[in-house]
Amino acid sequence: MLSSTPVRRLREGRFRLAAALVALGFTLVVLALLRLQVVDHETYTELSKENRVRLEVLRAPRGAIFDRHGELLADSAPNFSILFRPFPSESVAAALVSQSERWIRRVANLVELDTADVRGRVRDASRSGQSVVFRRNAPVAMRAAVEEMKSELPGLEVQVEPLRHYPNGTLAAHLLGYAGEINEAELDSLSDGGYRSGDLIGRTGIERRYEDMLRGRDGAEFVVVNAMGKRVSTLSEGPPQRPEAGHNLYLTVDLGVQRAMEDAMANVERGAAVALDPRDGGILGMVSRPAFDPNEISRGMSWDRWKQLSEGGANPFLNRALQGVYPPGSTFKIVSMLAALRFGVARADTRLAPCTGRYVFGDRPFACWRPAGHGVLDFIEALQNSCDVYFYQLGPRIGLPHLAETARALGLGDRTGVDLPQERRGLVPDEAWYDRHWGAGRWRKGTMLNLVIGQGELLVTPLQLALMTAEVANSGRVVRPHAVARAGDLPAFRPERPTQAGLEADAAAWSAVHAGLEKAVDAGTGTAARVPGIEVAGKTGTAQNPHGQPHAVFVCYAPAEHPTIVLAFMIENSGHGGSVAAPLAAQILRHVFLPDSLQPKFHPARIAPDTLVELQHAD
Amino acid sequence: MPTRVRLRLPDLDLPLALAAIGLVVFGLLVVYSATSVPGAHQGLWTRQLMWAGVAFGAAWIAASIPYRAYDSLAWPLYGISLLGLVLVLVIGTSTMGAKRWIHLGPLQFQPSELAKIATVLLLARRLDHPKLDLRKLRYWFPPLLLTLIPFVLVAREPDLGTALSFPVVLITLYFWAGMPAGNLLLGLSPVFNAALFMVTGSLGWFAGVLIVMLGVIRPKLTTLLVVLAINGAVSYALPHVWNHLADYQKRRIETFVNPGNDPYGAGYQIIQSRIAIGSGGVLGKGYLKGSQKALSFLPMRHTDFIYSVVGEELGFLGALTVVILYAVVVLRGFRLAMVARNGFASLMAAGLVAALFYHIMVNMLMTVGWAPVTGLPLPLLSYGGTALLVNGVQLGLLQNVALRRQEI
Repeated sequence: MLSSTPVRRLREGRFRLAAALVALGFTLVVLALLRLQVVDHETYTELSKENRVRLEVLRAPRGAIFDRHGELLADSAPNFSILFRPFPSESVAAALVSQSERWIRRVANLVELDTADVRGRVRDASRSGQSVVFRRNAPVAMRAAVEEMKSELPGLEVQVEPLRHYPNGTLAAHLLGYAGEINEAELDSLSDGGYRSGDLIGRTGIERRYEDMLRGRDGAEFVVVNAMGKRVSTLSEGPPQRPEAGHNLYLTVDLGVQRAMEDAMANVERGAAVALDPRDGGILGMVSRPAFDPNEISRGMSWDRWKQLSEGGANPFLNRALQGVYPPGSTFKIVSMLAALRFGVARADTRLAPCTGRYVFGDRPFACWRPAGHGVLDFIEALQNSCDVYFYQLGPRIGLPHLAETARALGLGDRTGVDLPQERRGLVPDEAWYDRHWGAGRWRKGTMLNLVIGQGELLVTPLQLALMTAEVANSGRVVRPHAVARAGDLPAFRPERPTQAGLEADAAAWSAVHAGLEKAVDAGTGTAARVPGIEVAGKTGTAQNPHGQPHAVFVCYAPAEHPTIVLAFMIENSGHGGSVAAPLAAQILRHVFLPDSLQPKFHPARIAPDTLVELQHAD
Repeated sequence: MPTRVRLRLPDLDLPLALAAIGLVVFGLLVVYSATSVPGAHQGLWTRQLMWAGVAFGAAWIAASIPYRAYDSLAWPLYGISLLGLVLVLVIGTSTMGAKRWIHLGPLQFQPSELAKIATVLLLARRLDHPKLDLRKLRYWFPPLLLTLIPFVLVAREPDLGTALSFPVVLITLYFWAGMPAGNLLLGLSPVFNAALFMVTGSLGWFAGVLIVMLGVIRPKLTTLLVVLAINGAVSYALPHVWNHLADYQKRRIETFVNPGNDPYGAGYQIIQSRIAIGSGGVLGKGYLKGSQKALSFLPMRHTDFIYSVVGEELGFLGALTVVILYAVVVLRGFRLAMVARNGFASLMAAGLVAALFYHIMVNMLMTVGWAPVTGLPLPLLSYGGTALLVNGVQLGLLQNVALRRQEI
C-alpha cells in the first residue's frame, strides 16, 4: 500500500498543484516588495525622512431632525474648537517649545484658561499622543487671534467641528433631548462602537434613542505633516474614507401643535402635556415644565451650571410626560366606567342611590367633591358631573381584578413602548400588590372606593393618560405612541407596532362613555375646554397628593365624531383640572382647528403651585 | 507496540531544518534590533533566545515520538484543546478587545495554537481510511463538523485570522486525501458567494463565477441541482439578512471581516509599515539603523510587524532571503507529505504545512498592505514564546515524518 502507484501518483499530482499555489503566494509577496522597495522607493524615503503621516478625522455630520412638515427642529452647525495637537516623539525641539512656560502662558491667555489647566492638558496630550481641546465653540475674535498667532505657538490649532443646534431653543426640548460631548466613562464602555474623544453622543430623548441612526460614520484621511506639525499634503495612497452623514429623522410632531402647547404651558411651573394622533399614535406635541435649552448643553455647560439646574427643586431635565408619575384623579373614572359596563355591574341607564355629598362605607364617610350632592344620576350623567358617590357605590361591585385588568388594557401601569428613553411604568396595583405591601387580607376596606375615583396608590404618566384617551377615542383599538415617523434614506423604517391587544367592550359601552365625555365638556365639569364649532370630549381630574395643592388633570379628544387629536395635561400642584387644565386644552384646540382670524387674544393667568383658583364649578 | 527508532541525522530533512533554524536566528537578530530602542520592550530578545532553546527541545521531542502515538492520541488532544477554547472564552484575558490568552501562573498560552495542531491530527486520522470516498456524505461530513467547532470557538474570541486557518487546513486535507478539485470548488461555492457579496455588494459577480465554474467542471445532474439550490438559497437570504441588520451591526461585521476598514487603528499601522518597507530600498538602511522603527511608528514592530523591520533595515535583499527560507520550509514540508510512509503521516504533514503557509502569507501580505490587519505573527520570526514553541512542535512533527519514511 505504501508505495502503491495510484496513491503515489495521486500524491505527486497534488504536490505539483500545492507547489504551484505556494509559488504563486510567495511571488505575490515578492511583487509587493518590488513595488514598495524598488518602484516607489523614492516616495517612501521622502515620507520616512522628516515628514510623517498623520490621520485626520473627517467628522460625519449628525442627522438633522424635522417635524412632520419638514420644519427644522435640530441640526448641526459648524463650531470652531481650539485644540493642541501633540508632537511626535522625535520632534523634541517642538515638544519642548510647547512645554515652555512662555508658550503655556500665552496660550492660557489666548484661550482664557488658567495656566495650570493648560499645562495639565498639554502633558496629557503629549503622553497619549491624542490632541486635546482647549476651548469648544470659540468666539470669532478668539479664533482670529489663534489663527494669527499659530505660527508662533506650535501645536495650537483651530478645528471645525459640527455643533448641535436647536433653532427653537426650549421648544420640544424634552422630546428632542440633547447631544453632548462623550465623556471618559462612555468612551470606555462604547469603544467598539467607534466613538472617539470629542464625539457628540445623544444623551436623552430622540437624540439618544436614535443615536445609531443620527450619528453617521466618521471618515478619515491620511495627511503628511512636517516635524512641526504643519500639514504638507494629503497622502494619495492611504484609503481616504468619506464621512457618511447620519440619517435625517422626520418626527410625527407638528410644529404648529407643539407651538400652541408651548404657549399654553408657558406659565406652568411644573407639569406636562402630551398631544397624540389617536389614529396612529404619532406624538403631535409634548411639553414638560420646567424646560431647558439644549443649545446651552451642546455649547458646553459648566458643571456648576448643570448642578444648579438639576439639583434645584424642579429638575428641568426630567421629561415629566413620561418620567413623571402621578395619581390620575377623576380621569380614571373613564376606566372605572368601562370596567363596570364590560363586566355587567351597571348599564348606561343604571340609577343608584342619590348623591347627598357623602357616602358612608363601613363606618367611614367618603365625600363627593360637590358637598351639596348630585341627587339621582344615571351612569352617563355620573361621568359628566364626575359624581364621586355614584362611583363609590360601584367600586366594591366592580372588584379589583376587573378594574386592574381594564386599566392595563387601556395602557396604564406599564410602559407604552414609545420610542423615547427612560419611560416609567407607573403603577396599577392588583391584589398581589396589596398583599405584598399591606399583608394578605389587611387592605380590602375602602381601597376600591379610592381606586374607582383615581386616588390611592394608582400612578400614571401623562403619556399613559394620552394613550388611554386615544384608545377610548378609538373605541378600544390600541395604538403605539411614537415620535419618529420616517428616517431619511431608510425607506424600510417604520414605527413599531403595538404589542398589546387593546380593550374589548360592546358598542353600547363605548357610546355611553363617549356620551359621558362629550357631555362633560358640553355641560359638565370640563366646560372650560369648549371650543366653538368643534365637539370636544374630555374628562377633568383633580389628583390629591401629599405635596400640597392637588394636580390639575385633563384629558380630551376632538372632534368627537372622528377624533384627530388627543390631549392630556398634568399640571402639578395647581388646583382643579376643570379650572386650570381644561382651559389650556381649549386654547390648543382653537389653534389647531380654528383659522387664525378666529383666534381670541388670550392672556393666561399665572398658573403656579399654591395659587388655587377658586371656582364654583370644579369637579 | 511502539518500535524504538534512533534518530539518525541522514534521515532528517536537512534543507527544512536549516531553513527553519536560519529563520529563527534571523528572527532573533531582528527582534534584537526592533527592541533595541529604549522603551518598554527593550531586551526582549533574551527571552526570545530562551524560548528558541525551549522550542528546539520541543521539536526534538515531537520528532522522537513515533507518529503512531499521535494518531492514537488525536481524539484526547482534540478534546483537551476544545476545553481550552471554551475556557479561554470564560476566563481568558483580553488584549485589544479579544480573549485569546489563558494565564497559568507566570506562563500564558493560546489554546487556539494547540487546537490547530490537534485538529490537524484528528482530521488526518479521520481521512486516513481505506475505504475513503469523499463523494459520500459520511466521509466528508464528519471532518467538516470537527473543523467547524474549533473554528466557531476561535472566531468568537474574536480572532478571525487564526480561526480561518482551520478551514484552510480542512480544504487542504480534503484535497490531499483525494477529493476531486471540481467537487471541492463546488462545495466551496456558497462561501465564495457570501464573500463576493460582502466585497462587491452585488450578487451578479457571483452568478457569473458560478456559471463559469459549472461550465468547466460539468457535475452530475443531481450535484448540479444541489449546488444551484444551496447557492440560490444563500443568494436569496444574504441581502435580506444584511438589510435587516442595524447599522452598528453591519459596521461590526465589516470591521470583523476587514479590520483595515478601521482607519484609526489598523489602517495607520499599514501605512507606517509600507513606509518602513518602502524606505528600505534594495539594500536597506542597515542593521540597527531603521528610523521608522526607532520612531515608534510601528507599534507592534517586534511581533506582528517584524517583517517591516526586516524590509526597512535589510532592504529587498533581506526580505527576499526571508521569502526564500519560508519557501524552502513550505515546499520541503509538502514534499514530505508526498513521500510519507503512510496515509496518516502524509495528511498530518500536509495539514501542518498548510497552516504554516497560511500564517506566513497572511502576515507578509498584511505588512506590505495587501491583506487586512489580523494580528497574526510571522511564524519563527516574530517575538512570542508560545508561538515559537508551537512552531517548533509543528516542525518537529514534520521531521518525524521524514525520519520514519524508510521505516518498514
